[in-house]
Amino acid sequence: MRKLALIVRHEFRMAAANKAFVILTILGPFLILAVTVLPTFVANNPAAMSGGRPVAVSSAVPGAAEALAAAYGGMGVEVSVTDDPQAAKAAVLDGSAAGYVVVEAGWPDSGRALFYSKTGVDATMYASTQAVLAAFARELRIGASGIDPELVRGILADAPFEVLKIGPEGSEESKTQDDFMEALFVSLSFVMVLYMTVLLYGQMIGASVVREKTSKTVEVMLSSVTSRELMFGKILGLGLAGLLQYGVWISVALALVKLAGPAFDLAVPASISPENLGWLLAFFLLAFFLYSSAYAALGAASEDEHHLGQLAWPLLLFLIVPLVMVSSFIMSPDSGLSTALSIFPMTAPLVMLIRVLVSDPPAWQLAASISLLLASVAGMALLASKIFRTGILMTGKRAKLGEIVRWAAVK
Amino acid sequence: MLKVEQVVKTYETVRAVDGLSFEARPGEIFGLIGPNGAGKSTTIRMIMNIIAPDSGSIRFDGKRLSESDKSRIGYLPEERGLYKKSRVGESLEYLAALKGMRLPDARASIGAWLERFGIADWRDRKVSELSKGMGQKVQFIGSVAHKPSIVLFDEPFSGLDPLAQDELLSAMVELKKDGVTVLFSTHVMDHAEKICERILLVNKGREVLYGPLAEVKERHGRNAVQLEFDGDATFVKDLPFVETVVAYPRWIEVELKEGSEPDQLFRAVAGRLRVRRFEAVAPSLHKIFVRLVGRSPDETNGAGAGEALRA
Repeated sequence: MRKLALIVRHEFRMAAANKAFVILTILGPFLILAVTVLPTFVANNPAAMSGGRPVAVSSAVPGAAEALAAAYGGMGVEVSVTDDPQAAKAAVLDGSAAGYVVVEAGWPDSGRALFYSKTGVDATMYASTQAVLAAFARELRIGASGIDPELVRGILADAPFEVLKIGPEGSEESKTQDDFMEALFVSLSFVMVLYMTVLLYGQMIGASVVREKTSKTVEVMLSSVTSRELMFGKILGLGLAGLLQYGVWISVALALVKLAGPAFDLAVPASISPENLGWLLAFFLLAFFLYSSAYAALGAASEDEHHLGQLAWPLLLFLIVPLVMVSSFIMSPDSGLSTALSIFPMTAPLVMLIRVLVSDPPAWQLAASISLLLASVAGMALLASKIFRTGILMTGKRAKLGEIVRWAAVK
Repeated sequence: MLKVEQVVKTYETVRAVDGLSFEARPGEIFGLIGPNGAGKSTTIRMIMNIIAPDSGSIRFDGKRLSESDKSRIGYLPEERGLYKKSRVGESLEYLAALKGMRLPDARASIGAWLERFGIADWRDRKVSELSKGMGQKVQFIGSVAHKPSIVLFDEPFSGLDPLAQDELLSAMVELKKDGVTVLFSTHVMDHAEKICERILLVNKGREVLYGPLAEVKERHGRNAVQLEFDGDATFVKDLPFVETVVAYPRWIEVELKEGSEPDQLFRAVAGRLRVRRFEAVAPSLHKIFVRLVGRSPDETNGAGAGEALRA
């Protein structure tokens, strides 16, 4: 145990006293925010998309430009009225205008409304333009028909509709589209964090074991410790570093929720709760031990990091598949597929985490998932320590995955 | 102290070690000698319990090696390796700690050794900055800093310049003086000859010779002459009383036929060579090995010697 503790301490220091580790720990939350929440946020917000540039408008229909200016003004986008199509198109092309709207004479019945865009994919911009013009066209047509505008507005008014989430104690909670988006973002961020850290730590362990072989330190180590102590020392040492990293991230998240949120009146998503952060940590630990044992075994069996990459693809697959399917898990968290993959140990951490975040999986499923994971961690550790023992001294041979698994049978 | 009996290890189709038995006694320097691929490293790894023998037994003081005994042993593997990103001092302290040494003791011992090898300034440098020779010294310190009672050095001199080799030789002699059992492997006979008390000569996993160095030499006769000279000595091998010659351009070792005297050779070379040194000696280990195995143990600079033998 004393030797194990020494290895753990050494590996922890090697992992944590490392610039990359410190930077990732500090920048991690921002990175995750950047890859998950920000693009969607930007894409849904015309002001963010136009980036302070005006939208050029030339209209042959009286009132259209004003209607657009009013609507855009509400979104924080400036409108510049122009009667020089060439200059306006040039401005779009050189990026000084976010778009150029033309409303032709006779619109909406005989003329066209056009949106000139540089990219053609700024859907948020032209969708909001379309919505504004559609409303304005309706007004025009109502005016032309002679029907009382008030009557029409009454007919077209929204019918009340509400979504309520029933809590376990019969409580009712109003939900909107925004809540769904929020749940989506938070789940996505959590899943990204879990995926990235498990993958990163797994590969770190694998690489560290391969280095032990290629730098020839393994024989010196084995003259003092057993191969089992060496392997678990590495896993636990890096696990400790992971725990530290999660500790920092969770503290930041909690500080945001508990302190910064109320203090600056920020709308912090409700799903960033201590409970959900706890689930994230729990599934990280389970996934970490499962995957890092596997990576340690494969690292020991590899000739070099390239070989490790070849051997580790099945592990990668188990991590990537849930990530690719993440939106279907979020939208139907209790489907047969979601349930099955949340209990199958290799995919359970990612999928069960999503289910816990967006739904309320039955207790027995949660229990089944976690106990299977625990059993798999124990099994994988045993298997890995056997493969490790044989593999760590094997050199000059690029073993195939099948061969490696057979090493575990060596007594 | 260490007793190896009938140890066998087979790798797939190759029998790397084929029934070796030997004993290293307390406080002696024991040489495990043989050409590359003779099974020396495999034997040492089996002693360290890094790999398991197929059959045979290895005992320390009559017991099998247990994990806790590992702290009494120092091991310098043939393939050297240190954590490249760590500092020299930290690396050595880590290794000593794994051997159960307390930090203050480890620091003192490591400091003394670094001082001894003249690399004390390197204590806080990264391992990756060390030259190959310095790395070897650091690794050597790693195997002895925890004050083991037995040390196993696998090819300790490889890659070291002559000066560093001498430093290492004297360090090994000093370890012996402190009562440490030193077992080392080498394919360079000179090193073995300089410091070993007893040797095991192996070839292709089997014993060629085993016993005290002096006795081995005795057994293989004293009828040899080492000659240092200027001139062309190719004629020596054709002299009627000469059995074999190991020849280098300015140095030869001549084994005389039975019943011949060194004096005869002296007369034969006088006047034909400018003799700088003429010494009747016990044959060198190198010579004995060549005679018994039929080829030179040292692949790199032994080719000439092998040629000489066949000629």
